[in-house]
Amino acid sequence: MDATAPATPPSPDTRPRPGGSWLTGRSELAVAALLLAMAAFLAWQTATMHVPPETEFPGPRFFPVLVTILMTAAGIALAVLVAVKPPVPAADDSAPHEAEAEPETNLGHMVQDQATGTHPQHAAETIDWRTVGIVVGALVVFIVLLEPVGWLLSGAVLFFGVSYALGGRRIALDIGIALVFSSVVQLLFVGALGLNLPAGILGGIL
Amino acid sequence: MEALDSLLVGFSHALTPTNLLWALIGVVLGTAVGVLPGLGSAMAVALLLPVTFQLDPTGAFIMFAGVYYGGLFGDSTTSILINTPGNSSAIATAIEGYKMSLRGRAPQALATSAIGAFLGAIISTALIAFFTPTIIEVALQFGPAEYFALAMFAFLATSAVVSTSLIRGLVSLAIGLTIAMVGIDQQSGAERFTLGIPELFEGISVVTVTVGLLAFGEVLHVAARIHRDPARKDTVRGTGRPWLSRADVRRTFPAWLRGAGFGIPFGVIPVGGSEIPTFLAYGNEKRMAKRRAARKGTPDEFGSGAIEGVAAPEAAASATAGTAMGALLGLGLPTSATAAIMLAAFQQYGMQPGPLLFERNGELVWALLASLFIGSVMLLILNLPFAPLWAKLLLIPKNYLYAGITVFAALGVYAASSSVADLVLLLLLGLLGLMMRRYEIPLAPVLIAVILGPLAETNLRRALTENQGDPSVLVASGISIGLYVVIVLAVGFMAVSRIRERRMERRAAEAPADAEPRG
Repeated sequence: MDATAPATPPSPDTRPRPGGSWLTGRSELAVAALLLAMAAFLAWQTATMHVPPETEFPGPRFFPVLVTILMTAAGIALAVLVAVKPPVPAADDSAPHEAEAEPETNLGHMVQDQATGTHPQHAAETIDWRTVGIVVGALVVFIVLLEPVGWLLSGAVLFFGVSYALGGRRIALDIGIALVFSSVVQLLFVGALGLNLPAGILGGIL
Repeated sequence: MEALDSLLVGFSHALTPTNLLWALIGVVLGTAVGVLPGLGSAMAVALLLPVTFQLDPTGAFIMFAGVYYGGLFGDSTTSILINTPGNSSAIATAIEGYKMSLRGRAPQALATSAIGAFLGAIISTALIAFFTPTIIEVALQFGPAEYFALAMFAFLATSAVVSTSLIRGLVSLAIGLTIAMVGIDQQSGAERFTLGIPELFEGISVVTVTVGLLAFGEVLHVAARIHRDPARKDTVRGTGRPWLSRADVRRTFPAWLRGAGFGIPFGVIPVGGSEIPTFLAYGNEKRMAKRRAARKGTPDEFGSGAIEGVAAPEAAASATAGTAMGALLGLGLPTSATAAIMLAAFQQYGMQPGPLLFERNGELVWALLASLFIGSVMLLILNLPFAPLWAKLLLIPKNYLYAGITVFAALGVYAASSSVADLVLLLLLGLLGLMMRRYEIPLAPVLIAVILGPLAETNLRRALTENQGDPSVLVASGISIGLYVVIVLAVGFMAVSRIRERRMERRAAEAPADAEPRG
């Protein structure tokens, strides 16, 4: 593989951006690093595990050892795979702007849209951390509020937060829908199915 | 016939008003999540699992099975109408189905796919109803070593076959096995990987893992790109009466049967779902059309909307559902993500699928099998005339849809244990799900590893203990040797076809650039 690599020039659309370092398009190395860190954690915990006395041979450490080996091997293999393979170009910067380059027919444009819809890899290349952050934040607020404030309000906050993150901008309507949704869930699942949800501050009123 | 008697008794239990209602709720929900891209029956069953804990188990399983079957019926509707497969199992249907709809034959394509899904489901369900006694006889000979081999088979087949790369499949498997090990070891009482956190002593609940990875992970994945993807206007077209002409039926009927033939064996092989048989069935029809064109001069319609290209993959997809239920009930072997979650549901109710299930919970099992037939009929009625109506589900605003899913995910995880710690785990697992989707690491191996991991470990240790630690016991019986041989063959076959694929890609890349297809 390495011997033949210099002979075949990389094809134009997989070549890294000029100016980008070797790491550009190789963010998956972070996944490999995470796996190796997990393997190290497994190894450390297995080695220091408190095993009750009189445990016979295939004890509680046996299977963890196997999984640690698998995890290490998978992490190394992934790192090698990412390092050897030509990097995935960042979609926004290095992909040619086809729509500008040549006029497209209406049909052609539709097909293009369909293609991005069913093959989201290119658009998914960069994660929109702001939107993800709002969704994660809404869940964190929900976790903090649930037991003190109760299901009804915290559930509504979660619904509204996610809806806002995903582009819902009719604030008053969305708050209304969020409250209705969380009340219906409360009535349906606590009332009809007997689930246990915290009533919180509204517990006395309802 | 013993099976027939049991099945008739099953029908008498399944035909009660309550159980019919559960079946109806299941198939409606299943069709809905099938139609909606990004949602699937696995996520739906995972979300339903905690909130149905209070239900009678028979009703709950009838509903879950309805969701499973419904997902395979609903996924083709949007494939055909707007070229957006509701699930990966309908990608093959989209190829010819959308072309048919562009030619104004959408009603015929929808009818072909609904009837194909119905036939596939009925044929495979009938097969398992009559052959499970045989499966059980084999399964009763399984000891610890054989169960370990079966789990290894499930692990490696899912990781090697379903994902685009074997390494990413193994990554997923390792993550799943790690999650499965957290908690106090049942056999020795040793505390493992809990970091002394009391909430982790009982292990990480399967509900939290599935809801976190499948539901919340999907919400985060949508959030990660909703403002990046170009906005799409989905216009739903193609209404009309779903009549198939006699000429159509003559062409589709054999294609349905061939498709079911591809699907049936794949229900028992744990390859994480029904995509592979749908593509095999599609490829087979395409080859046959080419041969027909060469021999008899009948026009090869593939590429411009061939009805066989819709019929065969649809029958194949739903045929896997029946045999997958058979493998789940008779062997305790989950062969798809949805089946894996249903196995977790059985465990939640204190039942263990496998040969003994038919003895201990015979009434439930036969009522469930009978309700699979009833559900298939319901699905045919729901999907044949109303398919374009289902496609209107796409008009639900995305922000409300995913907000609702998030609230439901949080509700289910909290309700299962009344523990805030599980909600924190939900958040972490959702982020893990986002990372795995971002780097195309498949999710099915994690789920199968989390659910079968404890079984694999227990049986491995039991087998070794019974034989004073001698590992040769693992390959001492014909059944286990057979399973290992199949694993080696399957992985070898995949490796060879991958290498061939890559070589073809390289050849295509070396070809002149203007030969590349555009648009």
